[in-house]
Amino acid sequence: MRRLHGMKLLAAAGVVVVALGVAACGGNDDKEPSSGDSTSAKRTIKVGLAYDIGGRGDKSFNDAAAAGLDKVAKDLDVDKKELEAAPNETENDKYTRLKLLCQGGYNPIIAVGFAYAGNDPANGPLAKAAKDCPNSHFAIIDDSSVTADNVASLVFAEEQGSFLVGAAAALKSKTATVGFIGGCEVPLIKKFEAGYVAGAKAVNPDITVLVNYLSTPADKCSGFNDAAKGETSTGGLIDAGADVVYQAAGGSGTGVFKAVKAKGKLAIGVDSDQYNTVSDDLKEVIITSMLKRVDVAVYDFVTDEANGTFTNGVTTFDLKAEGVGYSTSGGKVDDIKSKLDEYQQKIIDGEITVPTEPATS
Amino acid sequence: MSTETAPVPARTPAAPGRPGRVGRLPRVLLAIAGGLVVLAAVRAVTGADDLTSNGAVRAAIQAAVPIGLAGLGGLFAERAGVVNIGLEGQLILGTWFGAFASVHWGPWAGVVAAIVGGGLGGLLHALATVTFGVDHIVSGVAITILAGGATRYLSSLTFAEMDGGGVNQSPPGDELPRLSVPGLSALDGLEDRHWFLVSDLTGILRGALTEVSALTVIAVAIVPLAFWLLWRTGFGLRLRSVGENPRAAESLGVAVYRFKYYGVVISGALAGLGGGFLSIVASNIYREGQTNGRGFIGLAAMIFGNWRPGGLAGGALLFGYTDALQLRRGSESVHALLLVVAVLLLAVALWQATRRRYRPAGLGLALAVLSLVWFFATTTVPVPFVQFAPHLTTLVVLALAAQRLRPPAADGVPYQRGGG
Repeated sequence: MRRLHGMKLLAAAGVVVVALGVAACGGNDDKEPSSGDSTSAKRTIKVGLAYDIGGRGDKSFNDAAAAGLDKVAKDLDVDKKELEAAPNETENDKYTRLKLLCQGGYNPIIAVGFAYAGNDPANGPLAKAAKDCPNSHFAIIDDSSVTADNVASLVFAEEQGSFLVGAAAALKSKTATVGFIGGCEVPLIKKFEAGYVAGAKAVNPDITVLVNYLSTPADKCSGFNDAAKGETSTGGLIDAGADVVYQAAGGSGTGVFKAVKAKGKLAIGVDSDQYNTVSDDLKEVIITSMLKRVDVAVYDFVTDEANGTFTNGVTTFDLKAEGVGYSTSGGKVDDIKSKLDEYQQKIIDGEITVPTEPATS
Repeated sequence: MSTETAPVPARTPAAPGRPGRVGRLPRVLLAIAGGLVVLAAVRAVTGADDLTSNGAVRAAIQAAVPIGLAGLGGLFAERAGVVNIGLEGQLILGTWFGAFASVHWGPWAGVVAAIVGGGLGGLLHALATVTFGVDHIVSGVAITILAGGATRYLSSLTFAEMDGGGVNQSPPGDELPRLSVPGLSALDGLEDRHWFLVSDLTGILRGALTEVSALTVIAVAIVPLAFWLLWRTGFGLRLRSVGENPRAAESLGVAVYRFKYYGVVISGALAGLGGGFLSIVASNIYREGQTNGRGFIGLAAMIFGNWRPGGLAGGALLFGYTDALQLRRGSESVHALLLVVAVLLLAVALWQATRRRYRPAGLGLALAVLSLVWFFATTTVPVPFVQFAPHLTTLVVLALAAQRLRPPAADGVPYQRGGG
């Protein structure tokens, strides 16, 4: 009898745990539109934001998109709906998410991340959702492969920003060897590599650039979330002589910084100004970050939409448009800032054309 | 269902020290020495110095620990007759609980919490499979999915509000101490000389014995401990008897359900410790998705090791080594590994030929020639292949070893007390 009672208790505990899990699956941020300071001049705009893996709070790419939206919310009356992606989800999950936003009356809808284009952009999650909701406006960040009348592609000239930090790496390197860690071997991250290599070679044509990728699409780009791999891989580059390492590896970046700190070398951050986002003990190794202003892109897109203008097709945010750049927090590149600004001007003037694909492979 | 009336420890190809198994240790040592010479030779020939560098060895051990702990977890469950495919989920629980406690109360508290978190996952699996007779695979998969959802939910409640944290990652925690055997740093210069064998040995020694995390030492110590517990104590005998023939065990008065619970909870706790290693030592944060299938690889390592602690440690090390190589200087080192593979295949071919088994000998020879051609025709290996190398290695070794494997007899068979 006693034993039976115990079993019942255990069963109840099991049910509670399962319920927790279900709640977790359904959990998504549904923030109320900010009230209080609404003036009559503001128009209400319903914005749907579909995040990439990580979502709001990832201290990186998704957070930058969220920051852009938050900024819009200060100027306009925004009714926003944010949905998050799960690791290992299928393309159908992404499609359902976009469809859900459009059926909820959200317009425009912003898909954060190239994953929403899918393996076959013509029939991928975004393309299907755009076809199902012809009256909604969509934007996708980091992808230019989906073409439809109601889809805007917001892309960045990452190679230009990477060129500048590549130049900074070469100027700071004492061993004439610098390193690059890519989170996943996809065309987007190869743009970072190409610009970085070109920038380093512009400063020192004989420099060695060592390149490591942590994953491929075959394992669902797991290298963006695996700090242990980032650390191991960076250790390899440093042992091979690199003394400045640039990471475009998302969440694996902390591992990169950790390895760099352990060996007393230098690192370059990516996307946001990582000097301000990493823990205090890692700040000293970050000389600069390649800034990718996803917040600017989101802000511009939503503001335009609110004013009744929508441009389909590709919009590129480059150095000229201040969509990319480099950060100076920490003052570690103050001594070479004039040289970097010189390169920046040359790229803006078109004197230097930065490649978007690495020379080899 | 079985004619055996007693628990069957005598049949397990177990204990070294048993007559007939004496020759095993020298053979293993010989194989290791041979492998070392081949590696050193290949390093000298190709100049891929990372093959035996201290950094690579240290990274290999670090990569092997979570896999090995997950494998040990699988061992305890399956020796008790329960297939625990939820290891991945228990690993995830370990990463989350480990990071949570580590951030709040320091890394050692994190280690304890990781064990508890994984153990809870094990308890759930035991409840489902032992008490309610749920299919082991279904329950395991459910636990893996559940763990991902539950930790995401818990993160949004806890880490999201913290400085440096987010819904999918924790703030960084403090690190565990790293230990070194004194005196080895004097060998610093020796490794850089790149002398055949001498430098290789120095590199391996330095990698294995300096700057080793305290948790790595504990994890390594668990391997012989698990062997002792399972094959040298009454507890282990009963646990294994439950996995071999639960009805016979029951007839002899062994509390089958209780021992299955022990096995599965220990299993979850070990996997949880592996998860804790990931979020406390390998990286000092929890990050969603950081387990990255290591639980399943641990399961493969266990099968590779023929459901025995030493073997599975070897499997985990093999995987960790190839993974470390590919991550550090992938295309170069894996290219050099082609030569190693060619030499090993050639050795296999020769061995088979002396035993007049010409078919496998021919196959080995053909594959050896193929890798040789590949080696000489290229200078690097493409990235996708490089990243597949650890999995390929595991797959090949599993395929070659499959005929000699012997799982516990009642592994994965649902058991109901008093059932027919």
